[in-house]
Amino acid sequence: LSEETESGVVKIAAGAVVCVESDIRGDVTIGARTVVHPKARIIAEAGPIVIGEGNLIEEQALIINSYPENILPDAEDVEPKTMSIGINNVFEVGCVSQALKIGDNNVIESKAEVGRNVILSSGCIVGACCQVNTCEVIQENTVIYGSECLRRVQTERPQPQTLQLDFLMKILPNYHHLKKTVKGNSTPARS
Amino acid sequence: MATLLQPEKVLYLVRGEKKIRVPLSQLYFCRYCSELRSLECVSHEVDSHFCPSCLENMPSAEAKLKKNRCANCFDCPCCMHTLSTRATNIPAPLPDDPTKTTMKKAYYLACGFCRWTSRDVGMADKSVASGGWQEPENPHTQRINKLIEYYQQLAQREKLERDRKKLARRRPFMPQAFSQHTIHVVEKYGLGTRLQRQRSGAPISALYGLSLKEGEDQKEITIESAQALDEVEPLPEDYYTRPVNLPEVTTLRQRLLQPDFQPAGASQLHPRHKHLLMKRSLRCRKCEHNLSKPEFNPTSIKFKIQLVAVSYIPEVRIMSIPNLRHLKESQVLLTLTNPVENITHVSLYTCEEGDPDDINSTAKVLVPSKELVLAGKDAAAEYDELAEPQGFQDDPDVVAFRKSNKIGFFIKVIPQREEGDVTVAFKLRHDFRNLAAPIRPTEEGEATSEAIWLTHHVELSLGPLAT
Repeated sequence: LSEETESGVVKIAAGAVVCVESDIRGDVTIGARTVVHPKARIIAEAGPIVIGEGNLIEEQALIINSYPENILPDAEDVEPKTMSIGINNVFEVGCVSQALKIGDNNVIESKAEVGRNVILSSGCIVGACCQVNTCEVIQENTVIYGSECLRRVQTERPQPQTLQLDFLMKILPNYHHLKKTVKGNSTPARS
Repeated sequence: MATLLQPEKVLYLVRGEKKIRVPLSQLYFCRYCSELRSLECVSHEVDSHFCPSCLENMPSAEAKLKKNRCANCFDCPCCMHTLSTRATNIPAPLPDDPTKTTMKKAYYLACGFCRWTSRDVGMADKSVASGGWQEPENPHTQRINKLIEYYQQLAQREKLERDRKKLARRRPFMPQAFSQHTIHVVEKYGLGTRLQRQRSGAPISALYGLSLKEGEDQKEITIESAQALDEVEPLPEDYYTRPVNLPEVTTLRQRLLQPDFQPAGASQLHPRHKHLLMKRSLRCRKCEHNLSKPEFNPTSIKFKIQLVAVSYIPEVRIMSIPNLRHLKESQVLLTLTNPVENITHVSLYTCEEGDPDDINSTAKVLVPSKELVLAGKDAAAEYDELAEPQGFQDDPDVVAFRKSNKIGFFIKVIPQREEGDVTVAFKLRHDFRNLAAPIRPTEEGEATSEAIWLTHHVELSLGPLAT
């Protein structure tokens, strides 16, 4: 299998379950107890991506740290910005996330799109097929739902998907090969 | 290409009380009157009530008592989706031993779409899965009930007085059987229940059907008149300076769905029971036959009686339109489908000059002068691979193709206007065998039903002129 050259290394912490069929490129760090399904894509083009613990990244989800649209990749004055994702987030099937900063306990539902200038704090839920590409910080515990992206605030944050994560960490290794985890930080992870 | 198949492109004219132009798929056909009927010229009757989420049937009397709402299902006050019951385990002290705690199930309502939960408005979790949830009570219920009783009594009294006046005016030789009971049918605001129902759009009084029994002593109900207050509560001082908390403000739709309370804050939005939907049956106003009668069971989508127009009238559909140019003749390909099982003969006529139905056409049309023959619909034809050729002699200038019960034919269109959409109209005449006619027992060996010829006015909208 020939792959394109990686410009960075992928560091997968011990305890994370990352399937081989997932497409991870660039400088990506994945925390413990995170599950990355096959066909998920995490692409760090314009800077590194740091993913925390306990996240659930489902099939065909796309987490991409890409260049802003009006800047060419070859321009010199573009600093690589780190995309950081907190703990206990859920990226459901087919979502696209370009947000640079995502807090904890957020849920990005299926086929939702989160733009680059959005900052998700904690407990936010971006509903299915909703596109959020404003330039703002979304308040805690906000739910964005509906075809017109209406918003409301809920009183409690969504529960972390611990049951689902435990189940997947037991079942996925039975059916998929996993990428090698590292304890240190220098060896490249490719199985 | 698929836009040409949209039903709104081909409209059939219905000659009812009003002249309506509607696609054939939305029309009904009364085979006793042999006429097309639209939704506006039939009378709608309620068949049964059912809840759309739990599909529970409810007799009309019970539905009226529960104000047309389901007993088990709730609507999210925020997004109007159906609420589902979720369970959590909470530690609760055992009744015997207060020091030990055991896991008990607690139920709360949650919306899958907007993630609203019953805990958001402060409703406590219930220990039973269903039946524990109560709607908040309207503080004005008593006053409203009293007012309704008073006005019902007033309406009854007025009705009796009016009927007494009518009876006094009648000639003395009226039969004695014409007593007070029969007069009760005449309602306060109408000409009579039957006629009132037939007039479309007539309001039905809310007091209809409720009447005091004869002999019940007519209690005088008095009500206090509403008091007009001079003093109004002053606005809070920070009314103009306090910043608006947008997530807390309810939208108009959320507010008006709860007309009892109309809460302005989202933390007072309580869930309401789900509205029932109803199944309706349609009845032709002229001959009183049923045109559409659904099954009683809410889970079944079939009909007991389904006299829809597409199963009796040949349907015209547009297949392809060339570039249309002003005052230039172009050929448009149409298809004609035969819905019945016997051979149908169709002839097309252009509308005459000064036809009162022909108001929308913006182009001249030349239709084939020969009669088109359509084969019957054969349900088994799709499985029969060795289909025999049907043996119809088709003029290739007129008929483009023929496929089981469908033919494609050409019409010539000459747009008359330089701008705007091109609309053409023509008359479609076909033979219809009425299977509902009574069978005559004496004559045997004769054709079971006679064919009558029906003419329909069809309008096609062919889209804009090619630039």
